[in-house]
Amino acid sequence: MKTPRLSPQTLRVLERFVERPTAWRYGYELSRETSLKSGTLYPILMRLAKYSLLETKWVTTEDGVPPRHTYRLTPNGVELVRATFADSRASARAALKARRPAFSGGKA
Amino acid sequence: MIPAAFPRSVAIALLRFAIWIAPHDTLDWGHGMLSELNHVEGNWSALIWSLGGAGVLAKHAIVAVILPGTHRRTVSSASELFSKEIPMRKTTLAVIVSCVIASLLFFLAPVFRQAFQVSLAQWHDVFDTKQSFGYPSSDQELDALAKKAEQNQDAEALAFVAVRYPNAIQRAHFADEAVHLDPNLTWLYAVAGTAYLSPSEIDRRVSLLKQWDPQNALPHLFAAQKIGATVTYSKEFPQGKLEPSPAWEKEMDAAFQSPKLDSYVVRLKQLNQRVISRYHLNDPFQAASDENWYGFPNYGVWYCVLYAQSLLESGQALESRGDRKAAFEKYLVVARFGQFMSIDGEFTFFMRREMKEAYGRLAALSQTEGNGEAASFYTSLADQFDKSEEKERTFMRNRAGGTDVSLWNAFLVRLSGLAILLCAALVFLCALGVVIRNRSLRLASLHPSRLTLALCSGAAIGSLLSSAILFVSYWPYSEIFRRFLSKGDDAGLSELSIFLRDVQRPLGSRYSLGTWIVSSSMAVFYFWLAITIVCALALLIAVFRHFQTRPRASVPA
Repeated sequence: MKTPRLSPQTLRVLERFVERPTAWRYGYELSRETSLKSGTLYPILMRLAKYSLLETKWVTTEDGVPPRHTYRLTPNGVELVRATFADSRASARAALKARRPAFSGGKA
Repeated sequence: MIPAAFPRSVAIALLRFAIWIAPHDTLDWGHGMLSELNHVEGNWSALIWSLGGAGVLAKHAIVAVILPGTHRRTVSSASELFSKEIPMRKTTLAVIVSCVIASLLFFLAPVFRQAFQVSLAQWHDVFDTKQSFGYPSSDQELDALAKKAEQNQDAEALAFVAVRYPNAIQRAHFADEAVHLDPNLTWLYAVAGTAYLSPSEIDRRVSLLKQWDPQNALPHLFAAQKIGATVTYSKEFPQGKLEPSPAWEKEMDAAFQSPKLDSYVVRLKQLNQRVISRYHLNDPFQAASDENWYGFPNYGVWYCVLYAQSLLESGQALESRGDRKAAFEKYLVVARFGQFMSIDGEFTFFMRREMKEAYGRLAALSQTEGNGEAASFYTSLADQFDKSEEKERTFMRNRAGGTDVSLWNAFLVRLSGLAILLCAALVFLCALGVVIRNRSLRLASLHPSRLTLALCSGAAIGSLLSSAILFVSYWPYSEIFRRFLSKGDDAGLSELSIFLRDVQRPLGSRYSLGTWIVSSSMAVFYFWLAITIVCALALLIAVFRHFQTRPRASVPA
């Protein structure tokens, strides 16, 4: 099967979402946590939303302050991303296992 | 000093503008970015935030313009979700298409079409599609104009053709026809030339010219040219000794005694302007091709210089015999005719040495006669030649070789015209290659490779840049041409003429003895040009390969 390519930036964003899957997150907050500039972060968010993996909502925080756009993963998104990370961890473990003998002196 | 809040104000304005141009389905995102601005700490950070967000929205705006039918899809697999290939290709395609469309839009502007035609002039000599400078139109174009002119009984249009027609016999025929229709165009005989005409025909034309414009020196110069004069060279006279016939001397004397010298350049310019406007000949070569012509018969200038020298010699002889009055007259005639021959009423290039000597003699004679005022006047005139020498040399150098500005603009026009052709060919080849490889003409079925996209986008961007450079470089000359046609203003016509002459020279060649050559030193230019193009393409491919192969986290599906 063809291996999908996942950019490190998208991974960073997804990791933040997976940490608290039910929480609504702000754009600037995500930007600071992931150290991504708005020009990188928003295309990722827009792409996730385009594939219905992310939902958006306008929330009012304080009086006089304009409402903020917030984001969180949809159930589909959480499921898909967790599966992706699980696969990733499994393949990483497999890769480490395969390499270990070579590092420990060549025993099979 | 920039106010502290200024960057934030700029950031807000920038994002609002981006939201304004953004497509409908990204408005929420745009407003989201804008609302986050209130929470971004630091004014400069706010500006950076805004720049990034505005860039994202602008990209979507461009994609929406180029590909208006993009719809949302539901995700089917992680592979599809994280594949960067599709959006990247779409963006690149959007860039290519927008650049090609923008380049094509330039062709809607008449100025650009004219500029592009002018940029192609460098290939006329290479492929021998047109005549050399002075006769830029092909026979077919002039034949069509002559046909129309004959149908309309338009004497001026026939005169226009007569001046330009490559075939001398036909030229004479059109000139006769024009003068027959309108005798006020008799001056045309002086302009159309006398090559391949029989002596009796030349006599007839000179006689008509003399009758039509009896005070002008030009018909006498034509007559002198037809008679001819012998010049012998010897050790004693390395510059040549004139051995004129009495008939030649008579004509030259009549020319030098004439009250005016009109080369009909002004009449010719006015005629060009009227005919070009009347027949909508959108060709600047037609307006400026006569600019390097000084309006004299082939040997006119040389004969004038020789005759002036002989007058100075005879003046000295008269002086030595004590006939100062007659000598004074001889010198005065030389000085006066030299002024007639000055270029643009200012520079006396052709008879500079003779005029300086004539004024010096006049000053000396006036001093001898005790007329100090006249002596100082002539001395000051003679001194002016030394003062204006450098200025005059620069003027003639610019006239012959072109100014730095016109040379540079001609280079840019030729280079950008060539670049447009190369880029268009590359875009076409890429498109053809993709169609052949995918064996389909349906847009959805076409899957260009990254290399093809890289080449094609580079060529499309190059085409757009070249079009812009061509437009900007040619704009001043189109204005000169427009002013000439609309108002008859010939102020910049010399500049236009020099520019057009340089534009006809193939890129990398140089002028030598009235024609262009590609010397060995210019081969070096072509070598480095090729190296630069290859390096630019290699760099472009390397950049795209880098983006293609840069490390990414890999997740098995």
